[in-house]
Amino acid sequence: MRKVLVIQEDIIILKILDRLVRLNDFECKAIRSLDALNIEDQQTNFDFIITDILFEGIAPLEFVAQVQEIIPHKNLLIVTNMGQDKIKKEIFALSGITGFYAVPIDLDDIEATIQAY
Amino acid sequence: MNETSVLLFITIVFSILVIYWISIVVSVVYRKNRVARLSKIEATFADVVSQYLYNDPQNPITLSEINDRLREVGIRTGNKNNIQYLIRLMIRTQRTILGDNYAKLKTLYAQIPPYNASYSKISSWNWYKRARGIREIYEMNQSHYVHDIQKFQNHRNIFVRREAQIAMVVFLGWESLRFLPYLKRNMTLWQQIKIVEKLYDHHPTPELKWLHRAYKTDKLFGKKLLMRIIRKFQLHAETEFIIEHLNHPDYEVRETAIYCIQSFALSKKKMKNIKVLYEGIEDSTQQGHLLNYIYENSDIDIDFYMKQLNGTNDDLKLSVAEILWNNGYKEKVQEFYYQQYPTKEELDVE
Repeated sequence: MRKVLVIQEDIIILKILDRLVRLNDFECKAIRSLDALNIEDQQTNFDFIITDILFEGIAPLEFVAQVQEIIPHKNLLIVTNMGQDKIKKEIFALSGITGFYAVPIDLDDIEATIQAY
Repeated sequence: MNETSVLLFITIVFSILVIYWISIVVSVVYRKNRVARLSKIEATFADVVSQYLYNDPQNPITLSEINDRLREVGIRTGNKNNIQYLIRLMIRTQRTILGDNYAKLKTLYAQIPPYNASYSKISSWNWYKRARGIREIYEMNQSHYVHDIQKFQNHRNIFVRREAQIAMVVFLGWESLRFLPYLKRNMTLWQQIKIVEKLYDHHPTPELKWLHRAYKTDKLFGKKLLMRIIRKFQLHAETEFIIEHLNHPDYEVRETAIYCIQSFALSKKKMKNIKVLYEGIEDSTQQGHLLNYIYENSDIDIDFYMKQLNGTNDDLKLSVAEILWNNGYKEKVQEFYYQQYPTKEELDVE
């Protein structure tokens, strides 16, 4: 089964994305921080990672680089409160970013992206 | 001090310490329980909202189930703190989501426990509570209360009327501008900015019909607000409204007009009009700002600049001289300054 990893500190967005993903026939692992990852997760090749970039103790770009480095994945979607143009440009300057969604988000866009996969 | 007094003193001090320790323990336990309760409410709300937005067709969640689950975690009419926390969560969620799900949330919010919690606040005597109630209503987009809020637009308390005016913008969009001529109390700069931002976020498509009607307002704050709206929405066809206020008798209206016009590049015809209005501006600092705008957004008009060079204000003359000097008219500037020295004939008085 296709797998998605959702990383969001905000539990409301986390749960909503979790439901969205599951109803689209994906298996979903929803966590609030990277600490909740286990060794098996780090060996799973996720079809999508949907993550925030704002976490305590780590810079946004550094977090994205860390996720890209430690978790195998095919697509990386960013869903964040930090929607400033500068951040968006910096994120897209990194390679391997599939999409960037700044709050307020239209969940239909995210759904369309994963449905198109 | 005898032994009895010392013992009494120690007993009193010890009793105070014990009371102090007990209160600390009670406080820590209460806070711990409260945090756990709030986390439970947050998790339950997140669960309920996610299921409501993405309802499983095989096992759909019903409204009664939602209400039961919220009640189980302490969302009851009597528990105002929990309800207030739930309202905060609702607003936070509403701010996060757009599109069809936004409308779904609005429907859900009308049917879950806080019911009229925000509405009841707007009848409160406490103005802070009343303002907060209005804010909650517009943040949750409960537009059916629009008529109840409308009457607060001219409220004597600045916070109440500020929230009411923002609510009207959120609910009615551009149509809310029709109330502008009827506002009796001044609108601060902060309030104008908030209104423009809300209009832009919630109603990004301009409806010029309402804007044109609002032009008739004679309120100074109304004129300033309209100019800020034109600037924010980049309404190039409406720049005439800003231009005609460039030499308004009121300092702040002129200031806003000069600030707003700087966001637009104008046609030669309009720029010509601005050059005429420039001379009617009473304040030389404002003239200086407009002069910079004219210089940066139009070709060098030698007649205009020479006329200004022969004006009365030294600061402006210096700016004009700098413009001419840097744009290939050094000799004009030199000629102007040489004229100021007395001629040989004038010096040769004997």
